[in-house]
Amino acid sequence: MSEQIDEGLKSELQKQGIWVTSTQELYNWGRRNSIWPLQFGLACCAIEMIATAASRYDLARFGGEVFRPSPRQADLMIVAGTVTKKMAPQIVRLYNQMPDPKYVISMGACAISGGPFKQGYNVLKGIDRYIPVDVYIPGCPPRPEALLHAFMELQRKIDGQKLTGENKAAHLDRAQPSEFPVPAFGAHDLEPPSNLDLFRPPQIERV
Amino acid sequence: MESLEEIKTRVEAAVPGADISIIPNPGPANQPSLLIDNEHAPHVARFLRDDPALRLDHCSNVTGVDWLDRTVTKKVKVKKLVEGEEKEVEETHEEFFPGYLESVYHLYSMALKQGPVIIRMRTADRGEGARLPSLTPVYRSADFQEREIFDLYGIRFDGHPDLRRILMWDEFEDYPMRKDYREPDDYEYEPTPHDDVLEKAKQHYSTRPQLDGAEELTAQE
Amino acid sequence: MTPNPYFFIVIFVGVAVVFPLMPLGLAWLWRHFFQPPKPGAQKNATYECGVESLGEAHVQFQSQYYLYCIIFLIFDVEAVFLVPFAVAFTGLPVGAFVAILIFLLLLIEGLVWAWSKGCLSWAREKSVE
Ligand code: SF4
Repeated sequence: MSEQIDEGLKSELQKQGIWVTSTQELYNWGRRNSIWPLQFGLACCAIEMIATAASRYDLARFGGEVFRPSPRQADLMIVAGTVTKKMAPQIVRLYNQMPDPKYVISMGACAISGGPFKQGYNVLKGIDRYIPVDVYIPGCPPRPEALLHAFMELQRKIDGQKLTGENKAAHLDRAQPSEFPVPAFGAHDLEPPSNLDLFRPPQIERV
Repeated sequence: MESLEEIKTRVEAAVPGADISIIPNPGPANQPSLLIDNEHAPHVARFLRDDPALRLDHCSNVTGVDWLDRTVTKKVKVKKLVEGEEKEVEETHEEFFPGYLESVYHLYSMALKQGPVIIRMRTADRGEGARLPSLTPVYRSADFQEREIFDLYGIRFDGHPDLRRILMWDEFEDYPMRKDYREPDDYEYEPTPHDDVLEKAKQHYSTRPQLDGAEELTAQE
Repeated sequence: MTPNPYFFIVIFVGVAVVFPLMPLGLAWLWRHFFQPPKPGAQKNATYECGVESLGEAHVQFQSQYYLYCIIFLIFDVEAVFLVPFAVAFTGLPVGAFVAILIFLLLLIEGLVWAWSKGCLSWAREKSVE
């Protein structure tokens, strides 16, 4: 049902006027061309996200123009801007409230690592400490073209997702969680400071 | 506008008992300020606001300053009798200044287009005595800024209508802008550390595994 | 033989039933074979812009609110009558002008009456006074 069709056979058939596809291709084609982002912005990067959605850069060309004000209808969370520690629980909760399948673009230096405010007392060092991120775009802020690139990257990723088998897409896998624990406000920091199931930073080996 | 000295004498005449001193600022900005005793601060502020010659009706900025405990070593030359004859001997004196917190208000006059007059207040110490009278009843614009100072420096403003944390969450216990603030250790992944960050990131470095010869065995196979 | 004229209605009803049911059925099949549902406490919680929701969803509005709405009707009615009046203004006799003035006065009187009764201030403010 979802095995890859032989490419040569497919193009041969297409020459004869027969178009074949697999459920997986059809499913991914449909999903990748209507990625609805969640409508929220956190800081300066949000301005670039707004510019991307507006007429000049026109995210609608990729099917992502329908910014949804409710997580119930959104497929994509664009974390655009500085995530303060006070805001992080709300973002994780919004992510949890999005239905599967859901994706996250971490836009800008701030959402990736804290950016210019990395050592600030109030800034989370990257949203990937609490939720899984699919595409990172560096920049401060990334230009709208970069966000479009991230969008295309995400479409490519969706295109490659499998319906069955070992590495099937996370939302199809019963074992993969769709909710992640929301950090609590602690006395000195968020509790826990990162979700260790998700955030495994590479060990830096230095003497 | 009048000089600070004139303002000081007029305030002292108008608010009996007020203890005001002028803090010079030797830096390039050269903005000396008035240090006001806590007890009379609201009266002094009200006088500065309502006095027809000053009319400082706009409090544009309120900041906090943290002064740690410090010891100043001074070398003093003293005449002493050493082995029967009088000699000049250098002695070092250590003077201890206990730390305190300060709040600094920048006052301008919209009506007379003049300013700023800078006033400050000092807390007794950096712990439980970190209390100051609130100037929010005099200047509405001080409301959020005093809350911010409370949030970041931990100065409690007596008489403030709504003293809560404003930037950090309510459960937070530290005061992040104090100089002795210890931030939580989240330096586990610093790809490009330098200076202070490097020192903190080093705590998380794992040492390179020692070569014990085992890898050569696998290489031979 | 001409088919029964009601036959088309039967087809129409049939399509009207099948058409919305088909995607629902497909979704059910999809769920069954591919995508396991993953409900959760937070996912199913009331959406409140990311913060935890507090209190009851069934709140009572102040009755004052409805008074506001009704008083708003004064201006609504006024606008409805004033626009045609303004369009036809130059061609109207004096009698019509006087009539609309009386009409406006009546509406304004209603407003003044409501105002003097205190309908335009919130109940909370009144209790403070
Ligand atoms: S990465 Fe730069 S532009 Fe984006 S939110 Fe942070 S500071 Fe603003």
